[in-house]
Amino acid sequence: MKIVVAYKWTRDPEEASARPDGTVDWSRAKPGLSTYDPVAIEVARQLAAETGAELIGVTVGDKGVGTPLACKAALGRGLDRVVTVEDGSLADAGRSELAAVLAEVIKHIGDVDLVVTGDSSMDVAAKMVPTVLAGELGWPAVAEVTSVTGKAGELRVGREIPGGAQVLEISGPAVLATSADAAAPRVPGMKDLLAAGKKPVEHLDLAALKVSPQNAVMTVTGRSLPERKVRKGQLIDTADPAQAADELLTALRQAGAL
Amino acid sequence: MSVNAWIIVGDQPTVGNLVTVARSLGGTVGAVVAGPRSVAEIVASSGVDKVVWCNAPDDVPAEANATALADAVAADPPRVVLAGRNPGERVLLGAAAARLKAAVLTGARSVAVEGDGVVVVNAVFGDIADETVAVSGPVALLLDGGSAPSGDGASVPIEEVSAPPLGVRVVETRTHGFDQVDLNAAHRVIGVGRGLKSKEDLALIEALAVAVGAEIACTRPVAEGLNWMGKDRYIGSSGARIAPQLYLAIGVSGQLQHMVGVTGAETIVAINSDPNAAVFKETDHGLVGDLYQLVPAITAALK
Ligand SMILES: Cc1cc2nc3c(=O)[nH]c(=O)nc-3n(C[C@H](O)[C@H](O)[C@H](O)COP(=O)(O)OP(=O)(O)OC[C@H]3O[C@@H](n4cnc5c(N)ncnc54)[C@H](O)[C@@H]3O)c2cc1C
Repeated sequence: MKIVVAYKWTRDPEEASARPDGTVDWSRAKPGLSTYDPVAIEVARQLAAETGAELIGVTVGDKGVGTPLACKAALGRGLDRVVTVEDGSLADAGRSELAAVLAEVIKHIGDVDLVVTGDSSMDVAAKMVPTVLAGELGWPAVAEVTSVTGKAGELRVGREIPGGAQVLEISGPAVLATSADAAAPRVPGMKDLLAAGKKPVEHLDLAALKVSPQNAVMTVTGRSLPERKVRKGQLIDTADPAQAADELLTALRQAGAL
Repeated sequence: MSVNAWIIVGDQPTVGNLVTVARSLGGTVGAVVAGPRSVAEIVASSGVDKVVWCNAPDDVPAEANATALADAVAADPPRVVLAGRNPGERVLLGAAAARLKAAVLTGARSVAVEGDGVVVVNAVFGDIADETVAVSGPVALLLDGGSAPSGDGASVPIEEVSAPPLGVRVVETRTHGFDQVDLNAAHRVIGVGRGLKSKEDLALIEALAVAVGAEIACTRPVAEGLNWMGKDRYIGSSGARIAPQLYLAIGVSGQLQHMVGVTGAETIVAINSDPNAAVFKETDHGLVGDLYQLVPAITAALK
C-alpha cells in the first residue's frame, strides 16, 4: 500500500501585514510546515505503521519548498520519502493549478492508494486543494476526517458532519482531508531529524509533468484593505471588578449594545 | 452581459445566499443536488430555474455522487459554480471545478459580471487584504450558503440523473448531542477561549449569557480539541462569521483567524488577563484581568 501526504511549506499570515495599498508584506514571516499538516502526517503514519504501507510526502509550490530544510521538516515527522515540484511559476498558482500539479505527481508515483491532507493551509486556508485534487483523479474525497483504519480497498474512515459524526467504508483510492484535531502530532526528536537527512528526496520538473492547462485565467486588477470598523480601544480599570462591571455596562448601554 | 450559474448542493438546502448571488449575474440559475431527494425538493422552491438530482442508493454519502454531479454541470457548462461552506459541498465543488478546469476562489466579498469577465473582490490571507480578481473562463466560488428556502415558493421540476457512485458507503451515523445553533441570528454573542480552565467553568459563562441575553460561541480550540461545544459554535476564518450588536470575547487571545469572524460586530468587548493580548487591538472596551473575577462581577451588575 502507498499512502501520500500532500503537505505545504508556507508562511503564517499572523506574521504578515497588509500595507495601505493592499499588498501584503511577508518580510517578517518565516516559512514552515503548514500548521495542520503534522496532523495529516501523524494520521497517515499510524495507518502506515498498521498496514506496512510506504508513506510518501508530496509538496508542490514556489522556490523554497524543495530545500533540504523544508524536506527535513516533513521527513522528520515520519515520512519515508518526499517528492517535490519546486517552481517559481507556482508562486501565484491558484487552488486548481496546484491540485492539477499534485494530481500529476500522484500519477507519476503510481499505484497510490490514499492521499491524506491537513485541514487547511495556514496561508490561504481555502480547504479546496484536496477536493479539486480528488476531482482531477476521479477519486472520492472526504473532509473533516477524524480516523482512518483498515487497508487499501477496505478503509474505514471516521468523519465529522454538521451536528455529528459518521463512519464510512471506502473501497478504492481516495483523498482524505483530516480535521484539525484528528491526531496529536509527535514533536520530532534529534534522532528523527538526523534520520530525515538520509531519507530520499525526489525533485520533479514541472514542465516534464505535462499538466493540462486551466480554462480560466485570473488577473489581479486591484488590491485594497478591507473596510474595518474603527474600534474605540478604551481600557476599563479593573482594580475593582464591581466598579469595572458598572463602567462597562454604562458604556454598552450608551452604545446601544445592551 | 449575463452569465449562467450552477449551485451545488449536498445534504443541506441552505442556499438562500447562493441563489441571491447567482441571480445577480443575470443568466439562468441551475442547482445540482447530490444529497437526498428531500433536499432537492426544498431547493426546487428556492427560486432557481432548474434542479438536477443525483439519484443514488440511500447508504451513499453526497460526496460519492461527485462524478455524477460534475457530469451534470459539464453537460451545460456555466461560467460560475457556487457552493456553501460545508465539508460535503467543498468536495462537490472541487469535483465540478476540476471537471471545468475552473478557477477557485473562497473569499468572495462581491461577484459581478463586467464585460466578458467575472470580477470577484476576494479576501486573502485571513482577510488581511482584498484582491480584485478578473476571471476569464469558469470560476468556482465557495460562499456562505445562507438560509434554507421556506419551501412555500413555486417549485421547478426535478430532473433525475443516475450514475454509479464512487466507492464510499455510510456504515454508521451518530449525532454528537450538542445543541445546534444559528449564531447569525443572535444579537449578542459571548465567545469563550482557552482562558477558561475547565468545562465546568462554562457555568460562569452560561450565567452571564442568561443575564446579557447572549448566545455562547467559542474559539476553534475550544470546539476542536477540547470538545466543550459543537463545531457550529466556533467563530473565525474556518468557522462562523457573525455580525452581532455585541461580541464579548472572554479568555480569547484574539488571533487573526478568530477575529476575522467578528469584524462585523457593532461593539466588541474583551476580557483577558494578558494586557498584551492581540484581542485588545480590536476591541471597543477592554478589561485586563482575571475572567474568574470579572465575569461574575458583570453578571451580578446586570441583575
Ligand atoms: C489555518 C488556521 C485556521 C484557523 N481558524 C480558526 C478559526 O476559524 N477560529 C478560531 O478561533 N481559531 C482559528 N485558528 C486558531 C487560532 O490561530 C488561535 O490559535 C485560536 O483562535 C486561539 O484560541 P484561544 O484564544 O481560545 O486560545 P489561546 O490563544 O490559548 O488564548 C487564551 C487566552 O486566554 C487568556 N487567559 C488565560 N487565563 C485567563 C484568565 N484567568 N482570565 C482571562 N484571560 C485569561 C490568555 O491570556 C490568552 O490570551 C486557526 C488557525 C489556523 C492555523
